[in-house]
Amino acid sequence: MSGHRLSQGGLIDRSAPLKFTFDGKPYQGFRGDTLASAILANGVSLVGRSFKYHRPRGIMTASSAEPNALVELREGARTEPNTRMTMVELYDGLIAKSQNRWPSLNFDIGSINQLASPIFVAGFYYKTFMWPKAFWEKLYEPMIRRAAGLGRATHEPDPDRYEKAYAHCDVLVIGAGPAGLSAAVTAGRAGARVLLADEGPVLGGSLLYENEEIDATSGSDWAQEVVAELVSLRDVTLMPRTTVFGWYDDNIFGAVERVADHKMVPGPHEPRQRYWRILAKRAILATGAEERALVFGGNDRPGVMLASAVRSYVNRYAVSPGRTAIVFTNNASGYRTSRDLRSKGIRVAAVMDSRKDAPKLDSGGAPIVAGAVITRVEGGRDIERVAFERGRGQERLECDFVAMSGGFNPNVHLACHRGAKPEWKEDIQAFSAPRNGSRFVAVGAANGSMLISQCLREGAEAGAQAANEAGFRSKAAPTPLTKDESYNIKPLWWVKEGSSKAFVDFQNDVTAKDILLTVQEGYRHVELTKRYTTLGMATDGGRMSGINGSGIVAEATGKSIAEVGTTTFRPYYTPVSFGVIAGPFKGHHFQPVRQTPLHEWAEENGAVFVETGLWMRSSWFPRKGESDWLESVIREVKATRESVGLCDVSTLGKIDIQGSDAAEFLNRVYCNGWNTLEVGKARYGLMLREDGIVFDDGTTSRLGEDHFFMTTTTANAARVMSHLEFCHQALWPDLDVQYVSVTEQWAQMAVAGPMARRSLQKICENVELNDQTFPYLAAKEIKILGGVTARLFRISFSGEHAYELSVPADYGNMTARALMHAGREFGITPYGVEALSVMRIEKGHVAGGELNGTTTATDLGLERMMSKKKDYIGRMMAQREEMTRKDREMVVGIRPVNQNDRLRAGAHILSKGDAASMENDQGYVSSVAFSPMLGRWVGLALCKRGRERHGEIVQLFDGVYGVHLEAELCDPVHYDKENRKLYA
Amino acid sequence: MLSPTSLDRSLPLKRHLKQGRYGTVSADGPGVRLSVRHPLAIATIIARKGQEDKMSALLETHYGIAAPQPGRMVKGKELVLQWCGADQYFAITEGRGEGALYEDLRSCLQGSASVSDQSHGRVVIEVSGHKARALLTKGSAVDFHPREFPLEAAAMTQMAHIGVHVTRTAEDSFELSLFRGFSEHFWEWLTEQAQEFGYEVV
Repeated sequence: MSGHRLSQGGLIDRSAPLKFTFDGKPYQGFRGDTLASAILANGVSLVGRSFKYHRPRGIMTASSAEPNALVELREGARTEPNTRMTMVELYDGLIAKSQNRWPSLNFDIGSINQLASPIFVAGFYYKTFMWPKAFWEKLYEPMIRRAAGLGRATHEPDPDRYEKAYAHCDVLVIGAGPAGLSAAVTAGRAGARVLLADEGPVLGGSLLYENEEIDATSGSDWAQEVVAELVSLRDVTLMPRTTVFGWYDDNIFGAVERVADHKMVPGPHEPRQRYWRILAKRAILATGAEERALVFGGNDRPGVMLASAVRSYVNRYAVSPGRTAIVFTNNASGYRTSRDLRSKGIRVAAVMDSRKDAPKLDSGGAPIVAGAVITRVEGGRDIERVAFERGRGQERLECDFVAMSGGFNPNVHLACHRGAKPEWKEDIQAFSAPRNGSRFVAVGAANGSMLISQCLREGAEAGAQAANEAGFRSKAAPTPLTKDESYNIKPLWWVKEGSSKAFVDFQNDVTAKDILLTVQEGYRHVELTKRYTTLGMATDGGRMSGINGSGIVAEATGKSIAEVGTTTFRPYYTPVSFGVIAGPFKGHHFQPVRQTPLHEWAEENGAVFVETGLWMRSSWFPRKGESDWLESVIREVKATRESVGLCDVSTLGKIDIQGSDAAEFLNRVYCNGWNTLEVGKARYGLMLREDGIVFDDGTTSRLGEDHFFMTTTTANAARVMSHLEFCHQALWPDLDVQYVSVTEQWAQMAVAGPMARRSLQKICENVELNDQTFPYLAAKEIKILGGVTARLFRISFSGEHAYELSVPADYGNMTARALMHAGREFGITPYGVEALSVMRIEKGHVAGGELNGTTTATDLGLERMMSKKKDYIGRMMAQREEMTRKDREMVVGIRPVNQNDRLRAGAHILSKGDAASMENDQGYVSSVAFSPMLGRWVGLALCKRGRERHGEIVQLFDGVYGVHLEAELCDPVHYDKENRKLYA
Repeated sequence: MLSPTSLDRSLPLKRHLKQGRYGTVSADGPGVRLSVRHPLAIATIIARKGQEDKMSALLETHYGIAAPQPGRMVKGKELVLQWCGADQYFAITEGRGEGALYEDLRSCLQGSASVSDQSHGRVVIEVSGHKARALLTKGSAVDFHPREFPLEAAAMTQMAHIGVHVTRTAEDSFELSLFRGFSEHFWEWLTEQAQEFGYEVV
C-alpha cells in the first residue's frame, strides 16, 4: 500500500502545514487532518500491533470505532496511551508512538505469539487456570502480562485541569450529520433551546465526506449553511468535539467536551476536557451508522479498510490509501466507494460482490465480480493481491488496498443504555434503535433509515415534535431535494472458504473460529460468548465486532440473529478519561474543607490541625522545645486540670429547635425526659436509633419555654439533622416544631479548669458567675466584651469546673483572644482535641470509640437514662433479648498491671490463661490515653459482662503490634471518681 | 483589646479578598465580578404549624412584603425575603445592629414563626457579569436560563459538594449564600472556575 495525498480537494487547509512525528520520524500534514489521515498521506500503513498475537495492524476506520490504530500520544506527564489516531486532530508538534511492540514496530519479537496461537484460542485465559497451580503464577500470568497489552500510562501527575458542568435544554440533538442538523435547525427555528453535540471538530457528519446533493448544492455546503443558521439562533448551542457517552434516568445525558485536546497544551486557564451532565426535556439520537467489517482471511492486515472510511480519506482529507483498490462488498456502499475512487483517478481492480444475484449498480466503470468472496489477503509488508473464490477455484487479483463493506450497524448504543434491546430490521440486516417513547427518539441511519431523504425528513419531523412537546410551535419544513441511492444488502457474516485467520474483534484478536469453538464448548448465549472469547470487550466496546459476532453465533447455533440478539450496551459509548471523571475534585479539593470560626486564633497559637470529617480541628498546640505531640498534650492536660484551658469546640453540631411542641419532640427523639427541664438549664441527652442502639449524645439547653438549643457530636451533626427531619416529616407531622442548623452561627469554646470561672468573669458584662447564679448545668444568654450577646453553658466534658461559651462566629477569634488575655495571669493554655480526648478518657466519658453503632445504653453504663415514663425512638427494640443479654460487651475501664506498659486501642481481651483465639475473645480496648494525672496509660474497653469484672486481671493481645500484656479491668472513671472538681 | 472598636465583625474570607483582576481578562473586561456582602443581618424564619398565613400577613404589615412563593425572593424597602425550603425563608438586611433584625422579627411575628439568627453563619458572595451564568453552570444542576430562573428566583443547590442558596438579583447577577465554614474552600473552587473568563474581586 502506498498512501498519498491527492493533488486537490478535501476539507484541509493546504496553506497550513503541520509538523508531527510518529515513532520519532518527522512527517507533515495539514490543518484539518486527523493523525490517521496525515499518517496515511505519508505512505505509512503499519501503525500498531495487535493485543494478543502482535499482528501488524493499520488504520481501518475514519471514526471513533477504530479498533487498530491506537497510539501513545504526547510525552511526559501528558502521555495518553490507547489514543485512536482517527480521533486525534493534527496539531503542530504532535508526537505519537506506536505501542505493544518490542523492540520496534516493524520488527516485533512478540509476533512469535502467532506461532503459539493454538495456546491463545478462545477461553485461553480461563483454561490456564485448569493446569497445575504453579504454572499459573510462574508461567502463564507473567507470560500473558508481557505478551498482551496496550499502551502504558504515565506515573506523573496530570498537569492539566478538568472541569464539570451542567447543561439544560429543550432538545438535545446527538450527532450533527444530515438527520441531526435537520432536527436541530427545525427545533431551533421554533425558539426551543437546542443543544447540538457531535464528536467531531466540524459539524456535518457523513456530509463531510459523502458526495451528496441537497437542494442543488453539495452536502458539505448545505451543512455549512445550516450550521451558519444555527449559530445565528440565540438559544441554540453547538457543541463540537463533544461525545455524548451515556443516557441515564430522567433523560440525563453524560458527555465529554474535548476543549483543548486538539492543542499541544491547553491555553491559559483553559481546561483540557469538560464533563457535562445534560438535562434534556427531549432528545434526538442522530448518531448515524458505523460500517460493518467483513470477516475473511487476513481482513486485519494494514491496507484493509472500511469502504466508507476509504471515501472519508479520499473525499474529506484528499488522501488515497493506495494505488489500486479491490472493493469487497455485500451492499451498495462498495459501489459508492468504487465510484468515488475512480472519480479521483484511483484504480479499482474490481468490485467483488458476495451476492450472486447482485443488483446492477454503478461502480464508476470498475469491473464487477458477482458472487465472489475474498478468502485471503496476501503480500509481504504491503498487500500485493487477494485470493478470491467465485465457484471456479481459487483466483488471484493484484491490488495494494482493500475496501470492505458488510453493511451498516446503526449507532444505537445510547438508546439502549437504560435497558431496552435494539430491534432487528430484516431489510437492512441490522439492529436498529429501540422505541423509547417521545423523550428520546432515533432518526436517520441510527433509526435504520439509510437514504439521505429519510435522514433529512425524519430529523425535521423529530425536531418539530420535540420542540412542540417542549412547549414551542414548530412544523417541519419540506424535505430538501436529494438524490437517493438505493440501499440493499444480503448478509455475509463470515467467509468460510479459506484457512487463514479471519478476525471478528480486531483489537482483542478474536477470530471466527474462536467463536465457533466457544459455541462448541457450550457457551452458546451471546453474553457468554463475549466473556469467554473477550469479543467486544476492547476499548471500541464491540462497535466493530459485536454484530458480526452475533451473526456467527446465530449461524453456529442455528438460530436467527434476531433471536441471538446483542450483548448489553452500557455507558461509556467511547473511552472517557479518568481525569475528566474526577474533574476539579482531586487533591486538596477532593472533598470540601470546613474551618471553624476560631481557625485564625488557633493558627496564631501554633495549632497542628487534623481533619475530622470535613473539619480542620486544632489537634494540639506545640511549644518551643517540645519534642513530640505527647509532650504537648501532657502539658495541655496538666495546665487545664491545674489552672485553666481553652478549647475550640465549634465543630459540635448545633441545632436551634423551637415550637410549642419542641419539648415533646425532644422527649420522643431522646431516650431521657425533657418536660421537666427548666428554662436556663442544660441536660445531657442520649439518642437511640430505631433498633435500640445508641445513635448520638450531647447537651441540649432550654433557652425559652418553646426554644431549645441542641448540640450533637461533630461526626453525627448532619445525620442527627436528617434524623430530626425524618422524625418530624414522616413520623409526627402533627407536632408544631421547627429546627434549623445553627452550627456555623456560633463559635463555641470550652473554658475548663479551676481558674475557668475567674478567667471568664473578666469578659462577662452583666453576670456574676457563682454557684448560685451559674450552677452546674446552667445555660443562659449573657453579654460579654461590651455588648456581644453570648450563650454560656456550665457543662463539662473534661470533668473540670468548666463552661462552654458560644458567641456569634465573627466574634470568635476576638473572644478567644480576649479570654487568653483574661486568663494570662493563670497561665491559660489552649488545648486541642487530643487533650480533650485524654481528659474524657480519664473521666470515663464515652465518645466515638464507644458510640460505635453496636452499643446499647446499658452497654455504655447509661441505662438509667432510658426513661420508663414515656415512649421514644428505640424503646421497643432496645428490649429485645439480644440487646439485654447479660454477656454483652460493656464499657469498662482498663489499665496495664505493669505501670510502664503502653495500651493500644484495638487490643483484644482474653481471660487469664486462655489462648488467643476467636472463641476466647472477651472484647477489645476501645479508647486509650496516657493519663498525665495518673502517670500511666489508661483506657476504656468493651468487655463481656465488663461491669461485673472490675478488679479482674486479663490478658491483652494485639497481633498487629505484637503486644501481649496483663491488664486490670476497672471502673471506667480513672480520675476524680467523686466529681469533686466538677463542682469546685 | 476590650475597646468597643474591637466589636467589628471579622470577615470570614478576608485573607482571600484581595481586590484586583485575575485569570484571562479579555479586552472588554473581566467576565465575572466577585464580592462578599458583609456584614449582613440574616435570620431564618420558619412558619409555625398552621400559621403560614398569619406569618405572611405580619411580614406584610411590618415590612411591606409578604412571604415569597416557593423558588422566589421578594425585596422590600428594608428587608429581603428569600424562599429557602418548605415554609422557610431567609430574611436579610444590611446596616442593622448586632441581633437587631432577629429581635425585630421575633417581636413582630408574634409567635407565628420560629426565628433563628444566622447573621454570622452564612457568607454571601455576589457573582455578576456576562459570564456569571456560565460560571454557576460549572457547579450547579439548577437551570439558570432566564426563562427558568428569572429575576428574583431562589433555589437551594449544591456546588462543589457544598450546599449553596442561589438567588438571581439582576439579569447577570447572582447571590450565593453558604455556611461560613466552607467559604474559603468554596472561594478557591469558584475562583479557579472563573479564571478562564477572567474575574475581578471588588
